[in-house]
Amino acid sequence: MADEKYDESAAIPGRWDQRKRDIGTILWIAFLAACAGTFVIFAVLDPEALNDAWVLPWEMGRRLAYSLGFLFLFMVSLVASALTVFMIRTGPPSGHARGRGKPPQPEIRSPEEENPDLDIGDLR
Amino acid sequence: MTEHVTGGSLYRKEPKIYPRQVSGRFTRLRVVAVWVLLGLFYLLPWLQIGDKQAVLFDLPARKFYLFGLTFWPQDFVYLALLLITAGLSLFFFTALAGRLWCGFACPQTVWTEVFIRLERLIEGDRQKRMKLDAAPWDAQKILRKSVKQAVWILFAAWTGFTFVGFFTPIHELGNHVLSLSMGPWETFWTIFYGFATYGNAGFLREQVCKYMCPYARFQSAMFDKDTLIISYDTERGEPRGGRRKNVDPSEAGLGDCINCTLCVQVCPTGIDIREGLQYECIACAACIDVCDQVMDKMEYPRGLIRYTTEHSLKHKQAHVIRPRIIVYGMLLLALVSGTVWSMTTRVPLRADLIRDRNALYRELPGDVVENVYTLKITNMDDAPHRYTMTVLNNDAVEVDLARPLELAAEEVAGVSVRLRIPKAAGQGVQTLDIELQASDDPSIRKVIEAKALMPMEIGKQP
Repeated sequence: MADEKYDESAAIPGRWDQRKRDIGTILWIAFLAACAGTFVIFAVLDPEALNDAWVLPWEMGRRLAYSLGFLFLFMVSLVASALTVFMIRTGPPSGHARGRGKPPQPEIRSPEEENPDLDIGDLR
Repeated sequence: MTEHVTGGSLYRKEPKIYPRQVSGRFTRLRVVAVWVLLGLFYLLPWLQIGDKQAVLFDLPARKFYLFGLTFWPQDFVYLALLLITAGLSLFFFTALAGRLWCGFACPQTVWTEVFIRLERLIEGDRQKRMKLDAAPWDAQKILRKSVKQAVWILFAAWTGFTFVGFFTPIHELGNHVLSLSMGPWETFWTIFYGFATYGNAGFLREQVCKYMCPYARFQSAMFDKDTLIISYDTERGEPRGGRRKNVDPSEAGLGDCINCTLCVQVCPTGIDIREGLQYECIACAACIDVCDQVMDKMEYPRGLIRYTTEHSLKHKQAHVIRPRIIVYGMLLLALVSGTVWSMTTRVPLRADLIRDRNALYRELPGDVVENVYTLKITNMDDAPHRYTMTVLNNDAVEVDLARPLELAAEEVAGVSVRLRIPKAAGQGVQTLDIELQASDDPSIRKVIEAKALMPMEIGKQP
């Protein structure tokens, strides 16, 4: 019943490996977040009305502003999503908090214990 | 064998780290860095140039004041350049000298250093702090802990106040605090930033570096075998073990490491550097300082733990100058000199000529065609100016301004402009080069392009 030995090299057709799952999740979640953000922002804000105060030297039509707004939000959420996955993948393994992964610390003792001649008194 | 996770041992308990105080070269260097960086942070907002705050990010007015320079939203490109420069410098210095940033300049390190110092001042050194934490809650413990919390909160509040002082004139803000009349946003951001300081430097400390910091995770990509790292010399140190001073290590079959574990005790992230390079290491060099002192006492040569490179640990030639250093260095140099050049030659005048959307053109008697524009002009200087407007590539064009171009300091104006162009200038779209110049300072000059529409006359080719 236990772990049946499985063949690492033979991927099961139709199943995604971890990297593929990560990329898919990053893209999809970032896209959803950008959509929600675009809806909310442009529901309360008319880009045409901003034309006078626009920092950029050219005037922007609504369609262009909506598209750029969406792309910008998509980029930002992509960075956030990707970094999040990166941090989780490169972080400590699960079970870390219960002591898995890193070797235990050496037992810390008084420096003089094994070194009777070492006077650490003035080692502040 | 005891489990390493739970306490029991007086000296160590996994979840909480009590860094032991250390002194030495690198500690002094960090103290200098803390004083300089925090000095800049806490004092800069108080610095006045003339009657203006020297460094002020005035968000409502959308203007940044930086030592006499005024930055407008249109100067956004400088912000982008600044960020790119900062990123590239991080690459450059990481490739060269490892995690210098983490150990000496990161706000997380710098503020944690201050919070630990305050803690040490009130609760005593490492042993005393551990005893105090283990002791029952008596009057003495309550007193010390509350004094510490009070000092921490006060310091964090001052930090929040200073932070907001970069965005609201700090003298004004100070008066608001004293008269208890701070605005809601000033209050919110003071508390928010103060709370973040308190939480990060007082409580989270090394956990931020270990679990939350992305730089810690990808700095290894900028490393190579010639990057300065802090490393324990395994070859020299092992086998480690306690000994009496008069014992000759080679005779006793020992390396130079006396296994005093002081390097572990001083580590703010609680790692054992003797295990090799670890991503938790913030390269603060506390272990170098303490180990050097122990080596001195044992009359062994210093440097059992030292700044070194992977190559020199393996007795290979170390290279300071190498391709990635040259590439990062050149890019950095180009970026910095480009930014400086562009800032020194920056003209404090901005102008755009926008065509009147309602009319193409108007034909006037005397074979003259009139085009109407709105001139959007911004005097980015901190002195008033009067400007002249001339057409450079056609002397015959008459410029008719709705009002003289007199702008107060930092004024933005929209002025209606009529350009009367003789038909002889051509047909269809004509490009005019228009010069704006301050009459009192010829160096404030800008040339902009205007498109003028001229009637097409059938049968006459342009």
